[in-house]
Amino acid sequence: MTKEERLKKRHRAEKRFRFYGLASIFVALLFVLILVHNIFSKGSSAFMKTAINVEVFFDQELLEIKNGATENQILEADFYDITIESLLKVFPAQDLDQENQLIDLFTTDAEIEIKRAFLENNNLIGKKINLEITASDDIDQLHKGNYPRDLPEDRRRISDFQLIIYDNLVENKKIIKNFNNYFFKNGDSRDPELAGIGGALIGSFYSIIICLLLAFPVAVLASIYLEEFAPKNKITDFIEININNLAAVPSIVYGLLALQILLATIQLPRSTPLVAGITLALMTLPRIIIPCRASLKAVPPSIREGALAVGASKFQSVFHHVVPLALPGTLSGTIIGLAQALGETAPLILIGMVAFVVDIPSTPIDPSSSLPVQVYLWSESAERGFVEKTSATIMMLLSFLIVMNFLAVYLRQKFEKRWN
Amino acid sequence: MELMNNVKIKSKNLNVYYGEKQALFDVNLDLNEKEVTALIGPSGCGKSTFIRCINRMNDVIDICKVSGNIEIDGVEINDKNLDVVSLRERVGMVFQKPNPFPKSIYDNISYGPKIHGKGETKSELDEIVENSLKKAALWEEVKDRLDEPGTGLSGGQQQRLCIARAISVNPEVILMDEPCSALDPIATAKIEELIDELKKTYTIVIVTHSMAQAVRVSQKTGFFHLGKLIEVGKTEKIFKNPDNKMTQDYITGRFG
Repeated sequence: MTKEERLKKRHRAEKRFRFYGLASIFVALLFVLILVHNIFSKGSSAFMKTAINVEVFFDQELLEIKNGATENQILEADFYDITIESLLKVFPAQDLDQENQLIDLFTTDAEIEIKRAFLENNNLIGKKINLEITASDDIDQLHKGNYPRDLPEDRRRISDFQLIIYDNLVENKKIIKNFNNYFFKNGDSRDPELAGIGGALIGSFYSIIICLLLAFPVAVLASIYLEEFAPKNKITDFIEININNLAAVPSIVYGLLALQILLATIQLPRSTPLVAGITLALMTLPRIIIPCRASLKAVPPSIREGALAVGASKFQSVFHHVVPLALPGTLSGTIIGLAQALGETAPLILIGMVAFVVDIPSTPIDPSSSLPVQVYLWSESAERGFVEKTSATIMMLLSFLIVMNFLAVYLRQKFEKRWN
Repeated sequence: MELMNNVKIKSKNLNVYYGEKQALFDVNLDLNEKEVTALIGPSGCGKSTFIRCINRMNDVIDICKVSGNIEIDGVEINDKNLDVVSLRERVGMVFQKPNPFPKSIYDNISYGPKIHGKGETKSELDEIVENSLKKAALWEEVKDRLDEPGTGLSGGQQQRLCIARAISVNPEVILMDEPCSALDPIATAKIEELIDELKKTYTIVIVTHSMAQAVRVSQKTGFFHLGKLIEVGKTEKIFKNPDNKMTQDYITGRFG
């Protein structure tokens, strides 16, 4: 082979390699795009909800309370008759069956919504106001175009009569879309139009805070000791190998451990963020120790020697020089560990967080759900409304993860000091 | 014969092992007060190992074992019960590669005095910083930017900053481990001038690969080879008329 041929061959090889590299990146990006598109196209509609404009007349005869009633009186009062009365006025129904079909267009919480409006302004007796009453899940999905209306009636959840009412309401511009505050405010519910991630958000928040409080100090102190002070012997090696092994243990094993020790033996309350936080802390601990040690190791030995040479003790050289330099790496490792913990599902299912929890937890020892478990729960539900809710929850979870990862990168770049 | 200064550091039958490997063999070497002693020899001959024994820097290396004696002012320092922190306060060290802390110039100098409780007030610290930088011939270059990072200085300035850092705790001995090997000739000349000035106050031990540097800065020279001290004597004599054939071969560049 001549020199020129060899040169050509080398150039071809380089070009080929560049092509393979670009192709792999393209394929990877394509998958990410497909995933993101899929989630967004399904989930974004969940941030809006469908409501029907209803004229409500607060008839003194149907209510047993007067203007200026106290909050307790209103809460105890029965708004059922007024609700039915108002809803039936939306469209003329011929018989009881049609009346029921008409009422089914609205959420089961219609009465509560009307009561809430009265609570805000308790001088409404004898007055008529227009309220936006949340529509039922079926109407919501129909209005968002997720429900096929060309199926035969016996295979539809919406009857022909209901379709007639719906079309009439659309024509009269009585159907509106507004921001779905229930999605952020409410806990879980059997009715998709009322279900929200409020409980899951709070549960995840408590779990991660407990995980951080437990895992961070232990991980940092363990890494500092192992990296800077521990004698280099077989025991240290053994511990080191096992930390690496623990980081690779499937998370469900930590769930089993928590089930046996935290729930069965110590009898901590099940389904709670407290137990979730402890479990996640156990799981995250080795995953934080590894990057912490790596960032301590990355501090050049010359810095340690420099400190020792001016008469700093071992302790001073570590805490005055090495630890501050390793801190950005330590923090970003911790945040990435927490981000992993935030998305962890399997161990939480084992400790009972998969339970159906309607109430929003007010303390870490109240039963609660968490974001990834909520995704899991809703993905198993049959109602169409939960499909978009599942995707929307994934969007929330992903955006938290992205924010945390950006924070980690930012901290590392902002505070990392350079040495030659 | 010219009168030599008092002996400051005395090593007797010093042996050093790195695990199985012996790095120093029965080194007996006296270093005089307020004088520069140069240690020369081919790479891996044990010069650096020797000076790292004087401030017990070898303690940092787990597998390193030191036996024999080193006395400073007649006091044994190779003693388990000796507090290495107070030893290193008396014996400063400058390394081969400049290693300023990634902090401001001011903090680089004030760190040592602070941890030793010297310079209780800000003004005392300011004074120590100024004096140390002046002694290290760096004051004029950095006096207006003491809060800038020490790592932003040029290589030669960084090395003088490290010398100033060593001086800041007011040591008696300064150990220099090839302090100019990472520097250009101009920066080297500055450091050499500085060493000449510093020997009025401090006992200096310098490890160097440059024969010319040894001649220029030192009064006494020791030649190491394969962990043994082959010859030691006045610098003039070592370089003009060495007793040992190996020393002769090394300084004339026949090996090394």
